[in-house]
Amino acid sequence: MANKQEPQIPISSYLKNNEQVMDKRAGVGTSFDLGYRKFPVLKTNVSMYYVTGLCETPVIVELMKELLELNHLDKDEDIFEQIHDHLVHQQVEIVETIDDALVEMLSGLVVFFIDGERKALVVDVRTYPGRPPQEPDTEKVVRGSRDGYTENIIENTALTRRRVRDGRLRNEIMRVGERSKTDICLSYIDGVADPGLVKLLKKELENIKIDGLSMADKTVEEFLVHQGRTPFPLVRYTERPDVASAHLLEGHVLVMVDTSPSMIIMPTTYFHHIQHAEEFRQSPITGSFIRWMRFLGILASVFLLPLWLVLVLDPSLLPEQLAFIGPSEESSLPVFVQILIADIGIEFLRIAAIHTPTPLSTAMGLIAAVLIGQIAIDVGLFIPEVILYVAIAAIGTFATPSYELSVANKLCRLLLVLATAMFQVKGLVIGGMLYILLLVATKTLNTPYLWPFIPFNAKALFQVLIRMSIPFTKYRPSVVHPQNNKRQP
Amino acid sequence: MSKRKHDQRKQEPQKSVVSKAVTTGFVSGVLWSGIGAFTYFFHFSEVSPASFFIRSFWQNEWTSTWIAEVLGVLAVALISMVTALVYYLALKKLHGMWPGIVYGILIWLLIFLAFNPIFNAVPAWGELSSDTMVTTFCLHVLYGVFIGYSISYEYHDFNQSAK
Repeated sequence: MANKQEPQIPISSYLKNNEQVMDKRAGVGTSFDLGYRKFPVLKTNVSMYYVTGLCETPVIVELMKELLELNHLDKDEDIFEQIHDHLVHQQVEIVETIDDALVEMLSGLVVFFIDGERKALVVDVRTYPGRPPQEPDTEKVVRGSRDGYTENIIENTALTRRRVRDGRLRNEIMRVGERSKTDICLSYIDGVADPGLVKLLKKELENIKIDGLSMADKTVEEFLVHQGRTPFPLVRYTERPDVASAHLLEGHVLVMVDTSPSMIIMPTTYFHHIQHAEEFRQSPITGSFIRWMRFLGILASVFLLPLWLVLVLDPSLLPEQLAFIGPSEESSLPVFVQILIADIGIEFLRIAAIHTPTPLSTAMGLIAAVLIGQIAIDVGLFIPEVILYVAIAAIGTFATPSYELSVANKLCRLLLVLATAMFQVKGLVIGGMLYILLLVATKTLNTPYLWPFIPFNAKALFQVLIRMSIPFTKYRPSVVHPQNNKRQP
Repeated sequence: MSKRKHDQRKQEPQKSVVSKAVTTGFVSGVLWSGIGAFTYFFHFSEVSPASFFIRSFWQNEWTSTWIAEVLGVLAVALISMVTALVYYLALKKLHGMWPGIVYGILIWLLIFLAFNPIFNAVPAWGELSSDTMVTTFCLHVLYGVFIGYSISYEYHDFNQSAK
């Protein structure tokens, strides 16, 4: 992570020089959140640097007390050794360049420079402002653990470690970003995860050249999987430690980015996005039922509207049994325009709901449901059936567990509606084929996106369709290329 | 560790790749001809699997019911086991989905042009409606991709991991 333009500055044995460099590089006198304190220990000057908001004050006070106690003793041993021994903390490290010292200080560690020494001591006293683990809003379950990942990467590794107490669980940390120096942790189980994938990810992570990762996980994701033009989410996110550790045990690799509670699970396929922890909290049969209903919802969210539209545009297509489908009265606007308006209206609502404060969202829901829906029909803008089908498709969108996938599917649905409006049956059929072919052609980290459907894998697809009871899932999914196939040793 | 891994791989013999290919063909037949029957139900297409394999040979009362459709789907599934085997023997070494697409188009041409005289219940090439052409064409492309991509992926995956 060394800065290539500027050479690393070694620590000088004159305390004054070090202080000047610190002032110049970090602006210790200028930035008010950087703290500095100088005090003598055994007649040698020691200067201490820290970031006021990121350190735990009682610990620093304790350290200083212990160091100042040294003044009452009269020893002639090596001063550096003495100070090192008296820093009562389990994490004390020695650094030899100012650059390293700076990075550590800005991460929230406290740095001690000692006059006459070419080394500095850093002590990990950081405590980051953060929230306790809470149940993530996006992945709720009725029963089961309610802790969720937080913005703190150390806590996150701890939450994972709580569930996988395996010595072979590896958490490799690295710093990415010239300016932000964000911590990124690669978690995998050694001997299970595909070593080729781990190597590839490490290389990709090290090759990230960027000033900062403010959007944390999302920025990293865009560097790792080359998104191209597919709207589909190429990695799965989770905020649940149980989901994350289940994937670790299956042989997936996890990427944690500091400041984000969302873990990146790789490799991911389309079918990872339509599973949910809730299915695994129910009995296998109920779980399968939930899953089938969910598939139906997702299928409806993509294909229901265009299918209905094509039947409205050409009523001769309707089989006798379904002859009642389709508007009975003439409407002023073409049906596909009505669909587009209604769908875009729901999209307005969804976008607005994300950032509307809760007290206002009740009012918003009322306006949307009662006023717009009913009055649009009364005025003659919409026929009632449009509202019905758009609503079913919208609910199908909400039934998609992966938020990213639901939005991508919505986009495809709009395109399919447009294609159907233009070319009727041909538009729908060709559009549907292209939708599937686009998914088939997508690959993430050498993993086919639509696996196990295309390419077909009978066993794996069976496990996607039927939520198997855990004692019967004896093998890890082959798509992650696990080093060890068997789940039950 | 690596020794044990090797032993596990050996448990999966080459013949399982063949049987996987045949299974793929069967499922592909059921799935895509099932969707074909669905498109026939909604009159996207004038022909359904049953038009080929049931109504071309028998014309009874029951041949226009759903039983005929199910039997038609089953017939396609059985024949698909052969097409999958052909793909496995001839083209398994090719990569990706494009060979599958071409394979699907070839089958489509074969059925609608070359074999058309056999199937009495299927209109001749020039008399098919454009919707029928497009629908059956798309279904065959997906059918071909399903068989082709699955078989070549399984083949390459097996050979890679066996090393």
